[in-house]
Amino acid sequence: MDEIVAEYIRRTVLKIPRDEIKTVLQKWGFLSEAQLQTINFCQIKENISQDVVQLCEENSAGIKQAAVLDIIYNHIYSNKRVWSVYQMNKTGEEMDFFDLTDFKKKFKRRLQSALTNVTINFREYEDNAIWIRIAWGTPYTKPNQYKTSYVVYHSQTPYVFISVSVLKSNLPLLCQALVAASNYHDIHEMELRSHSLNSLKDIVFKRYSQNFQSYYPRPIQERNVAPESDSRINQENRNEKERIQRVNSEVFGDGPQPKLEFARYKLETMFKSDPQMNVLNKKEPFRCLVKFSSPHLLESLKSLAPVGMADAPLSPLLTCIPHKARNYFKIKEKKGVSPRSFVSP
Amino acid sequence: QGKMEEGKAYSPHGLFAHLEMLEARAHEADVKEEEAKQQEEKLARLKARVQELTLQRDELQAKVDLQQKRQLEKEGVASDPAQPSAQAVLEWKIKRVKAMLQVFCLTGISGKLTKQGVCFCISTAYEGTYLDSYYLDLLTKPEVRILRHSIPIFIPLEQLAKKYLQTDIRRFLSVLSNHLNAYAARKYQADQLQEHFSDQIEGTLQTNSLCNLLVFNYNVPNKSKTFPFNVRLLYGDLCSSIPTKVTVSCTSEAPASLAEMAAAHSDLFCHVALHKAFRSFSDAGES
Repeated sequence: MDEIVAEYIRRTVLKIPRDEIKTVLQKWGFLSEAQLQTINFCQIKENISQDVVQLCEENSAGIKQAAVLDIIYNHIYSNKRVWSVYQMNKTGEEMDFFDLTDFKKKFKRRLQSALTNVTINFREYEDNAIWIRIAWGTPYTKPNQYKTSYVVYHSQTPYVFISVSVLKSNLPLLCQALVAASNYHDIHEMELRSHSLNSLKDIVFKRYSQNFQSYYPRPIQERNVAPESDSRINQENRNEKERIQRVNSEVFGDGPQPKLEFARYKLETMFKSDPQMNVLNKKEPFRCLVKFSSPHLLESLKSLAPVGMADAPLSPLLTCIPHKARNYFKIKEKKGVSPRSFVSP
Repeated sequence: QGKMEEGKAYSPHGLFAHLEMLEARAHEADVKEEEAKQQEEKLARLKARVQELTLQRDELQAKVDLQQKRQLEKEGVASDPAQPSAQAVLEWKIKRVKAMLQVFCLTGISGKLTKQGVCFCISTAYEGTYLDSYYLDLLTKPEVRILRHSIPIFIPLEQLAKKYLQTDIRRFLSVLSNHLNAYAARKYQADQLQEHFSDQIEGTLQTNSLCNLLVFNYNVPNKSKTFPFNVRLLYGDLCSSIPTKVTVSCTSEAPASLAEMAAAHSDLFCHVALHKAFRSFSDAGES
């Protein structure tokens, strides 16, 4: 077995939390159940990884198997990377049958014709997600397995999720290959980024909870009536509390919110002050950057009004985030919120 | 205790230290007792205040109730329990209408007027099983536009909207409903196949988001597994849950009888739903 492959597998195993190594290896399926039984998963990770490499040696693991293990790792721990969303456009209206084999062939051909030194691996998941792992080389050097990009694509959708992290110069190549393989026309980056891949999917695929008005009998969701703790306690502000709940429910829906870590607003607005104060005589836009950060931004925004820290309804600039599918905003004068110009690859 | 020992080692200074310590302890105990007493007094005062306020509130509530009752009596509301009050009749009517509206939802397309327009709910079903529901929030002024929706991204909503939304909204909803129901049906068939006939399928089922192209290998029950069939189902009509083109093939080394069977299967898949076709194989196999 190639030393590079061995070292790569060893390092990948070391990244996995010890309690989960066995599950990940089982998902990988390259080592048999019998072989896995021979490993003591209670020893320190260094030793576990050595044992794994030993067994991989017996099975003659190649770069392909090592790449698959890496994809599996990144699929399970996808929140360790930052994902950006890209949108593709199509001019024609022909029906898209999306043949997976065709897609893979076209992607590989297009990418490798531009850059021969790449390792490309695919893995499909049950929710129709196609994971692509690309290890980049240069025209003069072999692919570096530690310089990787990951692409997640759901067939017959115009959205691609990319985690680049290194070698942003290869991004245009990657984009071209994607467009060619999926029969689209062009691609541009959206103003939407997060660590949570599933939340990004929820936002663009419109799977997040929206409160639609209908007569449809919803499954009985117990309205959160807190058990009467003490009959001597009265809610004097009940009406206001209920109003806030109602408004919040209309805006955010009743289910869990997609997980975003921040929202950034770039302001280029004119400073409005008393003309007598003579502040900022030059009529130039006041540039300012406002960034909201949180482990779970949308949930925290949802709870602002109920805990009394803000008035309900909240500013539409905050509540439009999932609907507009963006968390980077540029606010200019008068026009209000405007999108950034296309970033051509 | 340490201090006691100190006292033993360094008397008479130790003795004084010991006395000091005892004095300090006594003082602490006094302070604590005083605090506790104050707390109790405070608690008693607050309890009394609470009772006072509760009494006041009850009095005021009683006054309000009395006024309301007087108001009702002025308007001449019948207090005869035997006859249902206008209120009760109205409530019953409302309940009935609500139930009716809920029944409408079962028809597949239902709507509710909103402040800015109307919100439609399209429910999908296949052969008696209710599947997912999807929503469309429409604005009606100045022109009909989609405000937001929960339609899956791979359904060609924009195309349909461009074609029909402005001109013929009924047609738009009907076509959209057909797309959604057909997709739900195709997905249901594929799911049923994987759930009930996974032992006949070799390898994975290759599909896509719209479920309009299925490719997989399968074995016929009770036949040897050496010559699996490969099938490619193409659903050219997105509003249909039956494929438009089917190719069933087996390797060239397979005996002629199997080749004939492949052709028969190909024909079957063009007319019968996927999971039902597989069920017929099992039934045929058992007989």
